[in-house]
This record gives sequence, C-alpha cells and structure tokens, in this order.
Amino acid sequence: MSLAPQLDEILRSLLRRHLTDAEIYVKRGRSRRLERTPVTEVSATSQERAWAVRAGNRRGSFFVAATGDPTAAVPWPEPVAGRSLELPEPTAVPAWSTPSDFDTPLIGEREGLKLLESLGRQLEVELPGARMLRAVLEDGSSEAELANSRGLHASTRSRIATLYVEAAEFGRSVASASLYVAAREPRRFHPTALARRLADRLAVTAVGAPPERDGGEFLLAPVVAAHLLAGLLPLFVGPGPGSRLLGTRGRFGSDRLTLIDNGRLPGGAFESPVDGEGVPTREVVLVEEGAFRQPLLAWWQEGAADGEPSGCTRRAGWRDLPAPGPTHLYLQPDPRTAVASLLGSVAQGYYLIDVTGPGRFDLAADRFSLPVCGFAVQSGRASAPVAGAWLSGGIGAFLKGIAGVGRDLTFHPLDGMIGSPTVLVAGLELQKGRG
Amino acid sequence: MPFSKLDTAAVARALSQVAERQEDVVDAFFERREEVELAPEGEPGALRVWREEGFAVRLAREGRTWLAARDAIEAKPFAEALRQVVRVVPSAAYPEPMLEMAPPEPVNAPELPEFPAALARAVRAQRVGFPLRVAVRRHRRWVQVVGPRLVAAAESETFYSCSVESSWGRYGALLPRLDAAAAEEIATAVVARFRARQALPPAPFRGAVVLGPAAVAVLLHEAVAHALEADTLAQGGNPEAAVGVAMAAPCLDVLDDPAAAPEGVRRTTDDEGTPVSRRWLLRGGVVEQPLADALWARTSPVLLPGAGRRGTRHLPPGPRSSHLEILPGEALESDLFAGSTEGLFLPEASRGALDPLSGDFVLHLPMARRFHRGALAGTTGPCVLRGRVSDLLTRVVAVGREVRPAGAGWCAKGGQKLPVWATAPALRLEGVEIAP
Repeated sequence: MSLAPQLDEILRSLLRRHLTDAEIYVKRGRSRRLERTPVTEVSATSQERAWAVRAGNRRGSFFVAATGDPTAAVPWPEPVAGRSLELPEPTAVPAWSTPSDFDTPLIGEREGLKLLESLGRQLEVELPGARMLRAVLEDGSSEAELANSRGLHASTRSRIATLYVEAAEFGRSVASASLYVAAREPRRFHPTALARRLADRLAVTAVGAPPERDGGEFLLAPVVAAHLLAGLLPLFVGPGPGSRLLGTRGRFGSDRLTLIDNGRLPGGAFESPVDGEGVPTREVVLVEEGAFRQPLLAWWQEGAADGEPSGCTRRAGWRDLPAPGPTHLYLQPDPRTAVASLLGSVAQGYYLIDVTGPGRFDLAADRFSLPVCGFAVQSGRASAPVAGAWLSGGIGAFLKGIAGVGRDLTFHPLDGMIGSPTVLVAGLELQKGRG
Repeated sequence: MPFSKLDTAAVARALSQVAERQEDVVDAFFERREEVELAPEGEPGALRVWREEGFAVRLAREGRTWLAARDAIEAKPFAEALRQVVRVVPSAAYPEPMLEMAPPEPVNAPELPEFPAALARAVRAQRVGFPLRVAVRRHRRWVQVVGPRLVAAAESETFYSCSVESSWGRYGALLPRLDAAAAEEIATAVVARFRARQALPPAPFRGAVVLGPAAVAVLLHEAVAHALEADTLAQGGNPEAAVGVAMAAPCLDVLDDPAAAPEGVRRTTDDEGTPVSRRWLLRGGVVEQPLADALWARTSPVLLPGAGRRGTRHLPPGPRSSHLEILPGEALESDLFAGSTEGLFLPEASRGALDPLSGDFVLHLPMARRFHRGALAGTTGPCVLRGRVSDLLTRVVAVGREVRPAGAGWCAKGGQKLPVWATAPALRLEGVEIAP
C-alpha cells in the first residue's frame, strides 16, 4: 500500500515550519543472517522499519533519521546554518519491470545452513587440510518510498544476498584466505565454484613466494582488476580532481578500455529504475575505447564537468545521507576472447588470481600497489605459485597497458558493484614489498 | 531511563516459557540509540540526528543460536519474535507484555556547536594554522537486558566522536567528554601530523622503540584483547588452553575493567546483563582470564562471562573488551628514552590488525620521532611495526610509571562496530622491526 498521502502530510508539516525544501524517505526491510563456524551456528532474522527526512531553507538544513513510522508530529530540530539543501525535480522514469526474483522468498534457515555446510565440505574436497573458519550468509529484501517538496514521488524495491567466508589450511604453516561475494539472491552462490576459488587462494598462499622484483605480462583475474578499478573510482565519480588528473578529453587508456556505469543493469545486485533521490538511472559510458567521455555526475553536479548527469546517488540505508557513487561500474568484456586464450598468449609473466588485502592508490602521484597472489607463467603455463607479492605501477600505465580483456565479466561488492572480466596488462611490476 | 515503563517482569515470564532446558540461554535485549552530529561547515544537512530503538530475542541451545530483531519496541512484534526463535507454532499464544517506552526528548546538544571553534583556537595556540573540516558527533545509548530469571539494571552510555579532515590527512578520535581538554588533545595530535606531513618515512629499522600511551592502547587491544577473546582462541583450538601461557614480558599486567572506564561509558553489566568484572587478561605476562560471554563461559568452568558486547541488536553478542587497563611500571620518562643507540618514539597508532591464525601483527603509525641518549630528535613520516604477537610482547623491557586515558577508538571485529577505551602508560620494547 502506498504511503504517499502520509508522506505528503509530513512534507506539508515541514512547509508550515518554513522548511521549503524537504524530502522524506521510508524504508521497510527484512533479512536473514546465517553464520556457521566449526563450533557455532547462528540464525538471525531482522525486520527493519525506518525513515529519514532532509529539510531546510535558504538559511540552513537538517537530516533526521529514525526507526518506526514517520508522523507529522515529530518534534523537528531547528535547522543549522550551512549550505542550503538542494532537491531534484521530478522527471519521467523510463519503463522498467520489476525483476521476478525480487518476489522470491528469503532463503530458509535449513537451506541456507546447508549451503554453508556444502561450501565447507567442498572446500575440504578441493584442498584436503583446508577448513572453513567462518561463513556468513545474509539475504534481504526491502521496499522504499520517497517524496520531496518539488513533487517527486518514487518507490523502489531491492533484493540482495551476500556471502562472506574465511578459511584456513593447517599445513606446515597456516595459510588463510577470505572471500566476499554478492548476488541478487543466495541461490546464485555455487558452493563448488566458491570452494575452488578459496582452495586456489589457500594453496598458493601456503607455498607461494613473491619475486624480488619482476615485470612481464600480467593476467589479472576479474577480482584483481575489479579491485584496481575500485581504487581508481575518484577518477570516475564527480567533477573532482580525479577526472582532471589525466586530462578529461585526452587519451585515458588503451582502446580495450571501455568503462560503463549502469544503475539499471539487468540482473545487477542494485538494479533499480531510480536512484536514492528518485532520479532515473541509466547507462553512462565513462570511457569508450580508451577515450574519456565523462565522469559520473549527479543531477546537482550538472555543468561542473563535461557530461550528462544521471541518477547515481546511492542511499545504502535509512541511516545514510544520499551521495553519488557507482552502482554497477564495469569494464566492458570482449565476448570473443576466452580466458584460456589470454593465458596462452602470456610468454613470461604472472596470472594473479586474488587480492590479499587493501591496496594503496595515490592518484596525485600516479602510483598504486595492491597485495596479490597467483602464479608465475611461462609460455602460457603456470610455473610457480606466488604469494605475499605486491602488484604496483603507474595508474596511467595500467589503464594504457591493457592489451586484452576476456569475456568472463563478474561483479564484486566493493564500492558499489564493480565488475571486470579477466584483463591482460603490461607495464606493471610485481615485487616483494609495497613499492 | 527510557525503559521505566517497560514491563520487564512480564518479558521475563514470556522468556521463561521459551527456556525449556536448563542449559538454554534466553534473553531479550532492548536498546535505544541517539546520535547527533554537527557536520563540517558547508555541507548540506549540517545538523544530523539518528534515533533508533528496537529489541532482539535470543535463544541459544547446544551450540546453535536463534535471534529475532525488530525496529520497534511493541508487544506484537515481541510476541512474533519469540515465536520466531522457538521455530514452532506454540499450542498457546505467547503473552504480549506491555512494552511502552518513554518518548525521546527533543534534540538538544548545545556542546556540539562550540567544539569546532574551540578546536580551531587550540590549534592556533600551537602557532600553526591550516583549514580544518571538523565533524563532531554525540553518541548516546540505553540498554536493558532481560533474562527468564534475572533482570539486569538498565545501562546507558554517552560519548563523542570527532573527525578532522585537512588537505594533509584525516584524524579521528573518541572522547568521553567534549571539553577544553578534548580540544587540546585533538589539536596536539593534528598539529603533530601537520608538522610531520612532509617528513620521510624512517629507513627499515630494528631496535628500541618507545610506544606512547595511545599507541600502547592500540597495540594491546589488537595483540592482547583480540588474541584472548574466546571466539578468536577457538579458531586455533580450545580457548581454555590459553590460560597459564606466558604471552608477554613479566612486567606486563593487562586488565579489562568496564567499571573503571571513563565516566559516561562506565558499565556495571555487559550487553548480556551479566555483571562485569575486573578481568586480569595478563598478570605478569601470563594469561589469566580470557574474554568470554555467556555462551563461551558455558563451554568451560575456566571462562567467566561478563564480557559480552553487541554493536547492534541485529547481531548476537560476542566476547570483546571494553576498557583496557595497563598497569603502570617503575620507568621514568628518562629511563624509557635512555641508551646510547638511536631509537624511535611512536606516539600514536592509526590502526592495528592481528591475524589470529598466524599471530602476525601489524601496527600502522602515522609518524614517529627519533630519540638518542634520552632526548627526542627529528620527526619521521608514516611507518609500520610488524611482528608476531608471541615475540613482540616479550620484547617489552620497561613500563612507564605514568598512566593516562588513551587510545580510545572504534573496533569493528565481525562487523560489530564498538567503542573501546583504554588507560595506559608508555612502553619500551627492544629489537622491534619498523618498516617504512
């Protein structure tokens, strides 16, 4: 049932207090969280019911968020002087059909625990001696309604599941690894594939060593390339210094580099017709075949940089103030290129399969370093495991050094969903230290 | 207290119907939170207020826990949550206890607007000036835990967080009070970072280091408190096996004492309603009492409950420290910095991390100062202290005689964000590895 009349009543009550710009956001959600360790099992369910109001006038503004149902009788605080609040005007939302999986029920307790148990069992099959230390499966769905004093009304729904797993191999030394994945619903998590990924990571961490310092060709698994893209987000989001750093209209990367953000990506974890302020989402090409087209711009950033704004204001929950950011930002895959052919083309280099910790990105100095693990590659074949290594180099060198992209686009929950296929890149270094 | 109209006796009666077995742990956790923030100047929504209340019902039985949480404190959702944790349709409806809460008071935080100006004055008093973006937030929380037999006294906490951003970096702090001393403390930290902004990191170094109280607090939070949480210990085997292990130098006594925390965050019971205790984590460097909550305490008579904490009603509690206390030693400041070889003074740490499986430990330090023959010398840029917990803690050779409240910060283990507090002296360690 629509809450529109109730929301309008609250907006009117704010107007009566001379708060001419006002927005109200109401969210209802439910989630199930299942956690399994070798000694405990937890099944938690939560129901969320909350709202948030932004209101102000030329003199000041406030943000109030609370649990429960919003009413016009809330004792609103006095606005505090500061930048005035700006709200979007209503615009037509292109047609969009609610995906059918939004209606699927949350995963059951038994089914979810079975999935985690199966993941643990598969891991032991893939790598005897490996053990799952902790696995957390979260599955949730929500509905939100939003109205503002400019006449904008919007409703959204969302459905997302995440899985976090920590595992270890107790051999001569202890090797540990973790993974974090997200999908629209948990039935898309495949225990065998995830167990293989963890087992690969544990196996190379247990016996791998870093090179002192080496170059060559680097084949980056989707998760590694996605972490690199996530570290470079300031270059792509907003009219900040990042987009000017490399020359917004200049050559930005190799002609294999096409970067897109799409808030209504079909099947995407955050697929939605409107963003967190009710502005329609759309596909935005940020970089096309190496040429910078535009940064991701919210409606209020129009004119601050070249490019068309889009609905890119995220609102993770009722506690969060809306802020621009990517929803599904991805490097466009090449449907003709299999990963095996990319690997086969590596004469001497490395196949980096995972990221082992947080990276460092210094956009001003054009440098990055990212802790990784994987394999040394000779003539298209893995020759030795590599662990404890840092991939480092220039940010421009990475973008311009992309020599090939695979077809295996996968998304990772980083800052929004960041997607990449396997990427072949030259001009970087792998070394023991951070560099 | 907002829980004065909560019918805790009726809640306890309802819970007693769920506790079918002697060993069952059943409780209801009610919380109200309020956060008020003054955002940095120039941002829209300059005043930000978050208010929430809700509850969680928990049933733990034979290593399994069921928890149901709701964003409202009302009778009907409570009865639903009870049904959800027992996972059967009861033959008779669970009673719906009266769950009325006192209405929240109007937002009133007059201390917040004063603070950014006080901080700017404190910075200027140190004869430097640079633009700062200051956000200051007041955190208030009220908690009521009800079990089937016992109803703990309601608890409340009030503290502040402050984040300062500048072109040369970001600094964050937790504060029990928002007064002139707090402004002075933050100003000293940000000015030190400002002055070190262009300093080069030290060359790789192995030798004597002196950790200031703030850095000691982070070190011991990671290397002692996290290492001695029952759930962390269980990753490597039986938690009770840690008791009696010599983990650190004999001069190190480390306690967790929530009742001795700064006023405003002091607790008499934990988030499970169990009375807190003055818990000796290390006595003379030897493990005496790991951190345990009610569930872990049931696994061994050696483990005592009273350290169950929860960051939110949506997650079950876990064993965590609240207020670490490192007992003072005999060393004067001149003793700590003595010696003919050069050492590094590490006044504070920005963050630390422990790998519970390998025992590898890393402490990130935003700056350092060299010392030689008892005197402090040049400033260096950011560096990292690495080591194995078992090795690092045995390298403590002197404990300062002056303790001070230090090292408060957020801890986010397992996704539960909790404030942690500490009182610590300075420590001198020998043979420690520092890397740029």
